[in-house]
Amino acid sequence: LIAVWDLGVRLFHWLLVAAVGIAAVTGLFGPLNRLSLHVAAGATIGGLLVFRIVWGFAGTTYARFSSFAFPPSAIAAYVKELQAGRHAVYLGHNPLGSVMVFALLAILALNVTTGVIVLGGVDKQGPLAFAVSYETGTTLRAIHQILAYVLLVMIVGHLTGVVHESFRSKAKPVLAMITGEKPDTSVAITANPARAWPAFAGLALLVLLTGAAYEAIALSSRPALGVPTGSLDSTYVKECGSCHMAYPPSLGTSSRWIALMAGLADHFGEDASLEPKLMSSIRAYLINNSAEKWDTRPSHALAESNPGDPLRLTATPFWSRTHRAIPAAVFRSKAVGAKGACNACHGDAFTGRFDPQKIEIPARALQ
Amino acid sequence: MKVCCLSACLVAAACAVAHAGSGDTQKLLDFYANQAKATDSAFGGFSAERGESLFRSNSTGGKPDTPSCTVCHTNPMAVSANPQRYTDQEKAEKWFGRNCRNVLGRECTAREKGDFITFMLTQ
Repeated sequence: LIAVWDLGVRLFHWLLVAAVGIAAVTGLFGPLNRLSLHVAAGATIGGLLVFRIVWGFAGTTYARFSSFAFPPSAIAAYVKELQAGRHAVYLGHNPLGSVMVFALLAILALNVTTGVIVLGGVDKQGPLAFAVSYETGTTLRAIHQILAYVLLVMIVGHLTGVVHESFRSKAKPVLAMITGEKPDTSVAITANPARAWPAFAGLALLVLLTGAAYEAIALSSRPALGVPTGSLDSTYVKECGSCHMAYPPSLGTSSRWIALMAGLADHFGEDASLEPKLMSSIRAYLINNSAEKWDTRPSHALAESNPGDPLRLTATPFWSRTHRAIPAAVFRSKAVGAKGACNACHGDAFTGRFDPQKIEIPARALQ
Repeated sequence: MKVCCLSACLVAAACAVAHAGSGDTQKLLDFYANQAKATDSAFGGFSAERGESLFRSNSTGGKPDTPSCTVCHTNPMAVSANPQRYTDQEKAEKWFGRNCRNVLGRECTAREKGDFITFMLTQ
Protein backbone atom coordinates (compact mmCIF):
# COMPACT_ATOMS: atom_id res chain seq x y z
CA LEU A 1 0.00 0.00 0.00
CA ILE A 2 1.10 3.53 -0.71
CA ALA A 3 -0.04 6.74 0.98
CA VAL A 4 -1.90 8.93 -1.54
CA TRP A 5 -4.51 11.10 0.16
CA ASP A 6 -3.10 12.86 3.20
CA LEU A 7 -5.12 13.58 6.32
CA GLY A 8 -5.89 17.13 5.13
CA VAL A 9 -7.44 15.91 1.88
CA ARG A 10 -9.48 13.22 3.62
CA LEU A 11 -10.77 15.48 6.36
CA PHE A 12 -11.60 18.13 3.77
CA HIS A 13 -13.47 15.62 1.63
CA TRP A 14 -15.69 14.16 4.33
CA LEU A 15 -16.36 17.45 6.11
CA LEU A 16 -17.33 18.87 2.72
CA VAL A 17 -19.69 15.94 2.14
CA ALA A 18 -21.36 16.65 5.49
CA ALA A 19 -21.56 20.43 4.97
CA VAL A 20 -22.86 20.17 1.40
CA GLY A 21 -25.37 17.55 2.54
CA ILE A 22 -26.71 19.85 5.27
CA ALA A 23 -26.74 22.86 2.93
CA ALA A 24 -28.58 20.88 0.25
CA VAL A 25 -31.22 19.43 2.58
CA THR A 26 -31.91 22.71 4.40
CA GLY A 27 -31.85 24.64 1.14
CA LEU A 28 -34.15 22.32 -0.80
CA PHE A 29 -36.53 21.18 1.92
CA GLY A 30 -36.27 23.82 4.64
CA PRO A 31 -37.88 24.37 7.03
CA LEU A 32 -37.46 28.07 6.45
CA ASN A 33 -36.80 28.80 10.11
CA ARG A 34 -33.66 26.66 9.93
CA LEU A 35 -32.03 29.26 7.69
CA SER A 36 -29.23 29.66 10.23
CA LEU A 37 -28.27 26.01 9.77
CA HIS A 38 -28.14 26.52 5.99
CA VAL A 39 -25.98 29.62 6.49
CA ALA A 40 -23.67 27.80 8.94
CA ALA A 41 -23.25 24.96 6.43
CA GLY A 42 -22.43 27.52 3.73
CA ALA A 43 -19.90 29.27 5.96
CA THR A 44 -18.31 25.89 6.72
CA ILE A 45 -18.07 25.16 3.00
CA GLY A 46 -16.40 28.56 2.53
CA GLY A 47 -13.85 27.83 5.26
CA LEU A 48 -13.17 24.37 3.84
CA LEU A 49 -12.58 25.86 0.38
CA VAL A 50 -10.03 28.31 1.81
CA PHE A 51 -8.30 25.39 3.49
CA ARG A 52 -8.33 23.33 0.28
CA ILE A 53 -6.82 26.15 -1.76
CA VAL A 54 -4.01 26.61 0.77
CA TRP A 55 -3.52 22.85 0.94
CA GLY A 56 -3.39 22.72 -2.86
CA PHE A 57 -0.11 24.59 -2.62
CA ALA A 58 1.19 23.35 0.74
CA GLY A 59 -0.08 19.75 1.05
CA THR A 60 1.58 16.43 0.20
CA THR A 61 2.13 15.16 -3.34
CA TYR A 62 -1.41 14.31 -4.41
CA ALA A 63 -3.03 17.14 -2.49
CA ARG A 64 -1.20 19.71 -4.61
CA PHE A 65 -2.95 21.28 -7.58
CA SER A 66 0.30 20.82 -9.54
CA SER A 67 -0.16 17.03 -9.33
CA PHE A 68 -3.51 17.14 -11.11
CA ALA A 69 -3.45 20.27 -13.22
CA PHE A 70 -3.47 18.57 -16.63
CA PRO A 71 -3.33 20.47 -19.92
CA PRO A 72 -6.48 20.16 -22.09
CA SER A 73 -4.61 17.90 -24.50
CA ALA A 74 -3.95 15.37 -21.71
CA ILE A 75 -7.60 15.48 -20.69
CA ALA A 76 -8.74 14.89 -24.29
CA ALA A 77 -6.29 12.03 -24.67
CA TYR A 78 -7.53 10.43 -21.46
CA VAL A 79 -11.15 10.63 -22.64
CA LYS A 80 -10.13 8.93 -25.91
CA GLU A 81 -8.42 6.17 -23.95
CA LEU A 82 -11.54 5.72 -21.86
CA GLN A 83 -13.70 5.40 -24.97
CA ALA A 84 -11.28 2.82 -26.37
CA GLY A 85 -11.77 0.84 -23.20
CA ARG A 86 -8.19 1.00 -21.95
CA HIS A 87 -6.73 3.81 -19.95
CA ALA A 88 -3.73 4.60 -17.83
CA VAL A 89 -4.04 4.28 -14.05
CA TYR A 90 -3.22 7.40 -12.07
CA LEU A 91 -2.29 7.11 -8.42
CA GLY A 92 -3.80 10.55 -7.71
CA HIS A 93 -6.63 12.22 -9.65
CA ASN A 94 -6.87 11.14 -13.28
CA PRO A 95 -7.23 13.92 -15.88
CA LEU A 96 -11.01 13.61 -16.10
CA GLY A 97 -11.37 13.42 -12.32
CA SER A 98 -9.24 16.54 -11.98
CA VAL A 99 -11.67 18.47 -14.17
CA MET A 100 -14.43 17.43 -11.79
CA VAL A 101 -12.39 18.48 -8.74
CA PHE A 102 -11.71 21.97 -10.11
CA ALA A 103 -15.28 22.34 -11.32
CA LEU A 104 -16.66 21.31 -7.92
CA LEU A 105 -14.37 23.74 -6.11
CA ALA A 106 -15.39 26.54 -8.48
CA ILE A 107 -19.13 25.95 -8.24
CA LEU A 108 -18.95 25.64 -4.46
CA ALA A 109 -17.07 28.94 -4.26
CA LEU A 110 -19.70 30.53 -6.52
CA ASN A 111 -22.55 29.23 -4.42
CA VAL A 112 -21.01 30.42 -1.16
CA THR A 113 -20.57 33.85 -2.74
CA THR A 114 -24.07 34.07 -4.20
CA GLY A 115 -25.46 32.75 -0.90
CA VAL A 116 -23.88 35.62 1.04
CA ILE A 117 -25.33 38.10 -1.46
CA VAL A 118 -28.82 36.55 -1.25
CA LEU A 119 -28.67 36.55 2.55
CA GLY A 120 -27.73 40.23 2.47
CA GLY A 121 -30.22 41.39 -0.15
CA VAL A 122 -33.28 39.26 0.57
CA ASP A 123 -32.98 38.54 4.29
CA LYS A 124 -31.01 41.66 5.19
CA GLN A 125 -28.68 39.51 7.27
CA GLY A 126 -24.96 38.80 7.26
CA PRO A 127 -21.95 40.77 6.04
CA LEU A 128 -23.63 42.20 2.92
CA ALA A 129 -26.94 43.26 4.54
CA PHE A 130 -25.73 46.86 4.50
CA ALA A 131 -24.98 46.89 0.79
CA VAL A 132 -27.21 44.61 -1.29
CA SER A 133 -30.67 45.62 -2.49
CA TYR A 134 -33.64 43.27 -2.39
CA GLU A 135 -33.77 43.30 -6.19
CA THR A 136 -30.14 42.19 -6.53
CA GLY A 137 -30.75 39.61 -3.81
CA THR A 138 -33.68 38.01 -5.63
CA THR A 139 -31.76 37.91 -8.93
CA LEU A 140 -28.84 36.22 -7.22
CA ARG A 141 -31.25 33.86 -5.47
CA ALA A 142 -32.30 32.47 -8.83
CA ILE A 143 -28.65 31.93 -9.77
CA HIS A 144 -27.93 30.39 -6.35
CA GLN A 145 -30.77 27.90 -6.94
CA ILE A 146 -29.67 27.02 -10.48
CA LEU A 147 -26.08 26.51 -9.28
CA ALA A 148 -27.35 24.24 -6.51
CA TYR A 149 -29.08 22.00 -9.05
CA VAL A 150 -25.98 22.02 -11.28
CA LEU A 151 -23.97 21.01 -8.21
CA LEU A 152 -26.33 18.11 -7.55
CA VAL A 153 -25.89 16.92 -11.14
CA MET A 154 -22.11 17.20 -10.73
CA ILE A 155 -22.23 15.20 -7.50
CA VAL A 156 -24.09 12.47 -9.38
CA GLY A 157 -21.35 12.64 -12.05
CA HIS A 158 -18.65 12.43 -9.39
CA LEU A 159 -20.31 9.39 -7.78
CA THR A 160 -20.68 7.77 -11.23
CA GLY A 161 -16.95 8.21 -11.76
CA VAL A 162 -16.20 6.67 -8.37
CA VAL A 163 -18.48 3.70 -9.04
CA HIS A 164 -16.93 3.30 -12.49
CA GLU A 165 -13.43 3.29 -11.04
CA SER A 166 -14.46 0.82 -8.34
CA PHE A 167 -15.63 -1.74 -10.91
CA ARG A 168 -13.20 -1.13 -13.77
CA SER A 169 -10.03 -1.14 -11.71
CA LYS A 170 -8.81 -2.91 -8.62
CA ALA A 171 -8.66 0.39 -6.76
CA LYS A 172 -11.15 0.98 -3.99
CA PRO A 173 -11.58 4.77 -4.21
CA VAL A 174 -13.99 5.10 -1.28
CA LEU A 175 -11.72 3.07 1.04
CA ALA A 176 -8.74 5.07 -0.23
CA MET A 177 -10.50 8.32 0.75
CA ILE A 178 -10.91 6.87 4.27
CA THR A 179 -7.50 5.26 4.87
CA GLY A 180 -5.59 7.45 2.44
CA GLU A 181 -3.83 4.40 0.96
CA LYS A 182 -4.01 2.69 -2.41
CA PRO A 183 -2.45 -0.60 -3.61
CA ASP A 184 1.13 0.02 -4.79
CA THR A 185 1.03 -0.95 -8.48
CA SER A 186 4.07 -0.26 -10.58
CA VAL A 187 1.89 0.56 -13.59
CA ALA A 188 0.26 3.55 -11.90
CA ILE A 189 1.31 7.01 -13.03
CA THR A 190 2.78 8.92 -10.11
CA ALA A 191 3.54 12.60 -9.55
CA ASN A 192 6.68 14.33 -8.37
CA PRO A 193 6.83 13.73 -4.62
CA ALA A 194 6.29 16.80 -2.47
CA ARG A 195 6.41 17.25 1.29
CA ALA A 196 3.69 19.11 3.15
CA TRP A 197 4.36 22.52 4.71
CA PRO A 198 1.99 22.28 7.66
CA ALA A 199 3.44 25.29 9.50
CA PHE A 200 3.02 27.53 6.45
CA ALA A 201 -0.47 26.16 5.78
CA GLY A 202 -1.48 26.64 9.41
CA LEU A 203 -0.25 30.22 9.50
CA ALA A 204 -1.88 31.07 6.17
CA LEU A 205 -5.18 29.56 7.33
CA LEU A 206 -5.03 31.39 10.64
CA VAL A 207 -4.51 34.72 8.92
CA LEU A 208 -7.12 34.12 6.20
CA LEU A 209 -9.87 32.63 8.38
CA THR A 210 -9.53 35.00 11.34
CA GLY A 211 -9.34 37.92 8.90
CA ALA A 212 -12.47 36.75 7.09
CA ALA A 213 -14.34 36.12 10.35
CA TYR A 214 -13.33 39.51 11.75
CA GLU A 215 -14.38 41.26 8.56
CA ALA A 216 -17.66 39.32 8.37
CA ILE A 217 -18.55 40.27 11.95
CA ALA A 218 -17.59 43.91 11.41
CA LEU A 219 -19.65 44.17 8.20
CA SER A 220 -22.60 42.32 9.74
CA SER A 221 -22.85 44.91 12.50
CA ARG A 222 -23.46 47.72 10.00
CA PRO A 223 -27.07 48.92 9.71
CA ALA A 224 -28.95 46.84 7.14
CA LEU A 225 -29.96 48.57 3.91
CA GLY A 226 -33.54 49.85 3.98
CA VAL A 227 -34.64 48.13 7.18
CA PRO A 228 -36.83 50.15 9.58
CA THR A 229 -35.29 50.84 12.95
CA GLY A 230 -36.90 52.21 16.08
CA SER A 231 -40.34 51.47 17.43
CA LEU A 232 -43.77 52.11 15.99
CA ASP A 233 -45.53 55.43 16.58
CA SER A 234 -47.29 55.25 19.95
CA THR A 235 -50.53 56.91 18.80
CA TYR A 236 -50.71 54.49 15.87
CA VAL A 237 -50.17 51.54 18.20
CA LYS A 238 -52.77 52.85 20.66
CA GLU A 239 -55.49 53.46 18.07
CA CYS A 240 -54.95 50.65 15.58
CA GLY A 241 -53.28 48.13 17.87
CA SER A 242 -56.25 48.14 20.25
CA CYS A 243 -58.25 45.92 17.88
CA HIS A 244 -55.59 44.08 15.87
CA MET A 245 -51.85 43.81 15.54
CA ALA A 246 -50.32 47.20 14.75
CA TYR A 247 -48.92 46.36 11.32
CA PRO A 248 -45.57 48.04 10.67
CA PRO A 249 -46.18 50.74 8.04
CA SER A 250 -43.40 49.16 5.93
CA LEU A 251 -45.76 46.26 5.14
CA GLY A 252 -48.09 48.43 3.07
CA THR A 253 -47.59 50.58 0.00
CA SER A 254 -48.71 54.20 0.31
CA SER A 255 -51.62 53.61 -2.07
CA ARG A 256 -52.83 50.76 0.15
CA TRP A 257 -52.58 52.92 3.28
CA ILE A 258 -54.37 55.81 1.59
CA ALA A 259 -57.25 53.56 0.49
CA LEU A 260 -57.40 51.90 3.89
CA MET A 261 -57.55 55.16 5.81
CA ALA A 262 -60.22 56.50 3.44
CA GLY A 263 -62.50 53.60 4.33
CA LEU A 264 -62.29 53.37 8.11
CA ALA A 265 -66.09 53.53 8.46
CA ASP A 266 -66.15 50.08 6.85
CA HIS A 267 -62.78 48.67 7.87
CA PHE A 268 -63.01 45.02 6.78
CA GLY A 269 -66.60 45.01 8.00
CA GLU A 270 -65.96 47.02 11.19
CA ASP A 271 -66.63 50.66 11.91
CA ALA A 272 -63.15 51.88 12.83
CA SER A 273 -63.83 55.59 12.34
CA LEU A 274 -61.39 58.00 13.90
CA GLU A 275 -61.76 61.64 14.76
CA PRO A 276 -60.58 63.47 11.56
CA LYS A 277 -57.45 65.10 13.02
CA LEU A 278 -56.31 61.80 14.53
CA MET A 279 -57.07 60.01 11.28
CA SER A 280 -54.95 62.35 9.19
CA SER A 281 -52.00 62.25 11.59
CA ILE A 282 -52.01 58.42 11.57
CA ARG A 283 -52.46 58.49 7.81
CA ALA A 284 -49.44 60.77 7.45
CA TYR A 285 -47.34 58.47 9.65
CA LEU A 286 -48.29 55.44 7.55
CA ILE A 287 -47.56 57.17 4.24
CA ASN A 288 -44.24 58.56 5.49
CA ASN A 289 -43.11 55.06 6.47
CA SER A 290 -44.79 52.99 3.75
CA ALA A 291 -43.27 50.10 1.85
CA GLU A 292 -41.72 52.32 -0.86
CA LYS A 293 -39.41 53.82 1.77
CA TRP A 294 -37.86 50.46 2.70
CA ASP A 295 -36.07 47.50 1.15
CA THR A 296 -37.21 44.56 3.27
CA ARG A 297 -38.64 41.38 1.80
CA PRO A 298 -42.19 42.07 3.13
CA SER A 299 -42.11 45.65 1.81
CA HIS A 300 -41.51 44.28 -1.70
CA ALA A 301 -43.27 40.94 -1.61
CA LEU A 302 -46.56 42.20 -0.13
CA ALA A 303 -46.82 45.10 -2.58
CA GLU A 304 -48.66 43.00 -5.14
CA SER A 305 -52.35 43.01 -4.18
CA ASN A 306 -55.08 40.50 -4.69
CA PRO A 307 -57.51 42.31 -7.04
CA GLY A 308 -60.44 40.60 -5.32
CA ASP A 309 -59.43 41.90 -1.88
CA PRO A 310 -56.84 44.61 -2.57
CA LEU A 311 -56.37 46.02 0.93
CA ARG A 312 -55.94 42.81 2.89
CA LEU A 313 -52.29 41.80 3.42
CA THR A 314 -53.31 38.20 4.09
CA ALA A 315 -55.01 38.04 0.69
CA THR A 316 -51.89 38.99 -1.28
CA PRO A 317 -50.42 36.35 -3.61
CA PHE A 318 -47.15 36.33 -1.62
CA TRP A 319 -48.93 35.79 1.69
CA SER A 320 -51.08 33.00 0.28
CA ARG A 321 -48.09 31.28 -1.30
CA THR A 322 -45.89 31.42 1.77
CA HIS A 323 -48.65 30.30 4.17
CA ARG A 324 -50.34 27.64 2.05
CA ALA A 325 -48.85 24.72 4.01
CA ILE A 326 -50.26 25.98 7.30
CA PRO A 327 -53.55 24.29 8.26
CA ALA A 328 -56.55 26.60 8.62
CA ALA A 329 -56.99 25.26 12.17
CA VAL A 330 -53.73 26.97 13.19
CA PHE A 331 -55.17 30.39 12.29
CA ARG A 332 -58.44 29.61 14.07
CA SER A 333 -56.70 28.36 17.21
CA LYS A 334 -56.80 30.36 20.40
CA ALA A 335 -53.02 30.86 20.33
CA VAL A 336 -53.16 32.58 16.91
CA GLY A 337 -56.76 33.80 16.48
CA ALA A 338 -56.66 35.10 12.92
CA LYS A 339 -54.59 35.15 9.77
CA GLY A 340 -53.77 38.78 10.45
CA ALA A 341 -52.13 38.02 13.81
CA CYS A 342 -48.62 37.97 12.27
CA ASN A 343 -46.97 38.30 15.66
CA ALA A 344 -48.44 35.01 16.88
CA CYS A 345 -45.82 33.15 14.83
CA HIS A 346 -43.39 35.85 13.62
CA GLY A 347 -41.43 36.85 16.72
CA ASP A 348 -40.16 40.03 15.04
CA ALA A 349 -43.39 41.04 13.28
CA PHE A 350 -43.45 44.50 14.87
CA THR A 351 -40.05 45.34 13.38
CA GLY A 352 -41.26 44.62 9.85
CA ARG A 353 -38.25 42.35 9.25
CA PHE A 354 -39.96 38.94 9.37
CA ASP A 355 -36.71 36.96 9.66
CA PRO A 356 -37.17 33.29 8.75
CA GLN A 357 -35.41 32.31 11.98
CA LYS A 358 -38.03 34.15 14.04
CA ILE A 359 -40.90 31.97 12.77
CA GLU A 360 -42.36 29.62 15.35
CA ILE A 361 -45.92 28.33 15.23
CA PRO A 362 -47.09 28.13 18.87
CA ALA A 363 -47.23 24.50 19.98
CA ARG A 364 -50.75 25.04 21.34
CA ALA A 365 -51.93 26.12 17.89
CA LEU A 366 -50.84 22.79 16.40
CA GLN A 367 -52.65 20.55 18.89
CA MET B 1 -66.35 41.11 14.23
CA LYS B 2 -66.34 39.37 17.57
CA VAL B 3 -62.54 39.43 17.82
CA CYS B 4 -62.50 43.17 17.46
CA CYS B 5 -65.17 43.83 20.04
CA LEU B 6 -63.53 41.50 22.52
CA SER B 7 -60.04 42.88 22.03
CA ALA B 8 -61.30 46.45 22.33
CA CYS B 9 -62.81 45.43 25.65
CA LEU B 10 -59.53 43.86 26.76
CA VAL B 11 -57.56 46.92 25.80
CA ALA B 12 -59.99 49.20 27.59
CA ALA B 13 -59.14 47.16 30.68
CA ALA B 14 -55.39 47.14 29.99
CA CYS B 15 -54.78 50.75 28.93
CA ALA B 16 -55.51 52.14 32.37
CA VAL B 17 -54.59 55.74 32.93
CA ALA B 18 -53.06 56.14 36.36
CA HIS B 19 -54.64 59.45 37.40
CA ALA B 20 -58.17 58.76 36.22
CA GLY B 21 -60.90 58.07 38.73
CA SER B 22 -64.60 58.26 39.43
CA GLY B 23 -64.42 62.04 39.23
CA ASP B 24 -63.70 61.72 35.51
CA THR B 25 -66.71 59.43 35.07
CA GLN B 26 -68.90 62.07 36.70
CA LYS B 27 -67.41 64.72 34.40
CA LEU B 28 -68.29 62.58 31.42
CA LEU B 29 -71.84 62.13 32.72
CA ASP B 30 -72.12 65.90 33.23
CA PHE B 31 -70.91 66.42 29.66
CA TYR B 32 -73.68 64.18 28.33
CA ALA B 33 -76.26 65.68 30.71
CA ASN B 34 -75.51 69.18 29.39
CA GLN B 35 -75.85 67.95 25.81
CA ALA B 36 -79.12 66.21 26.68
CA LYS B 37 -80.54 69.34 28.34
CA ALA B 38 -79.59 71.43 25.33
CA THR B 39 -81.73 69.30 22.99
CA ASP B 40 -84.51 68.31 25.40
CA SER B 41 -85.74 70.84 27.95
CA ALA B 42 -87.73 68.07 29.65
CA PHE B 43 -84.57 66.04 30.36
CA GLY B 44 -84.86 64.73 33.93
CA GLY B 45 -81.64 62.79 34.48
CA PHE B 46 -80.19 59.46 33.37
CA SER B 47 -81.72 56.07 34.08
CA ALA B 48 -79.88 52.78 34.67
CA GLU B 49 -83.03 50.86 33.59
CA ARG B 50 -83.11 52.61 30.21
CA GLY B 51 -79.36 51.98 29.93
CA GLU B 52 -79.83 48.27 30.58
CA SER B 53 -82.59 47.98 28.02
CA LEU B 54 -80.36 49.79 25.48
CA PHE B 55 -77.58 47.33 26.27
CA ARG B 56 -79.76 44.22 26.00
CA SER B 57 -82.33 45.09 23.33
CA ASN B 58 -82.16 43.99 19.72
CA SER B 59 -82.14 46.41 16.83
CA THR B 60 -82.58 45.92 13.12
CA GLY B 61 -81.07 49.24 12.13
CA GLY B 62 -77.39 48.28 12.30
CA LYS B 63 -75.24 45.58 10.79
CA PRO B 64 -77.01 42.24 10.56
CA ASP B 65 -74.33 40.39 12.56
CA THR B 66 -74.48 42.83 15.50
CA PRO B 67 -78.16 43.29 16.38
CA SER B 68 -77.29 43.90 20.04
CA CYS B 69 -74.39 44.97 22.29
CA THR B 70 -74.66 41.53 23.89
CA VAL B 71 -73.57 39.78 20.68
CA CYS B 72 -70.00 40.77 21.54
CA HIS B 73 -70.24 41.98 25.13
CA THR B 74 -71.75 38.96 26.85
CA ASN B 75 -71.40 40.74 30.20
CA PRO B 76 -71.95 44.43 30.90
CA MET B 77 -68.73 46.50 30.78
CA ALA B 78 -69.04 47.28 34.48
CA VAL B 79 -67.17 50.12 36.11
CA SER B 80 -66.64 47.89 39.17
CA ALA B 81 -64.61 45.51 36.99
CA ASN B 82 -62.46 48.34 35.68
CA PRO B 83 -62.74 51.82 37.23
CA GLN B 84 -60.89 53.31 34.24
CA ARG B 85 -63.95 52.80 32.06
CA TYR B 86 -65.90 55.90 30.95
CA THR B 87 -63.24 58.27 32.22
CA ASP B 88 -61.90 59.49 28.86
CA GLN B 89 -64.29 61.57 26.81
CA GLU B 90 -62.47 61.07 23.50
CA LYS B 91 -62.34 57.35 23.94
CA ALA B 92 -65.99 57.16 24.98
CA GLU B 93 -67.03 59.24 21.97
CA LYS B 94 -64.93 57.07 19.65
CA TRP B 95 -66.47 53.81 20.83
CA PHE B 96 -70.05 55.10 21.22
CA GLY B 97 -69.69 56.37 17.67
CA ARG B 98 -68.45 53.10 16.22
CA ASN B 99 -70.64 50.75 18.22
CA CYS B 100 -73.90 52.73 17.99
CA ARG B 101 -73.51 52.82 14.22
CA ASN B 102 -72.72 49.08 14.20
CA VAL B 103 -75.65 48.03 16.39
CA LEU B 104 -78.31 50.72 15.87
CA GLY B 105 -77.28 52.06 12.50
CA ARG B 106 -77.26 55.61 13.88
CA GLU B 107 -75.49 57.83 16.39
CA CYS B 108 -76.61 57.45 20.01
CA THR B 109 -78.18 60.46 21.68
CA ALA B 110 -76.50 62.10 24.65
CA ARG B 111 -79.25 60.71 26.87
CA GLU B 112 -78.65 57.17 25.63
CA LYS B 113 -74.92 57.49 26.29
CA GLY B 114 -75.56 58.80 29.79
CA ASP B 115 -78.12 56.06 30.47
CA PHE B 116 -75.63 53.46 29.27
CA ILE B 117 -72.86 54.71 31.59
CA THR B 118 -75.29 55.01 34.48
CA PHE B 119 -76.27 51.36 33.98
CA MET B 120 -72.62 50.32 33.87
CA LEU B 121 -71.99 52.19 37.14
CA THR B 122 -74.58 49.98 38.85
CA GLN B 123 -72.98 46.75 37.71
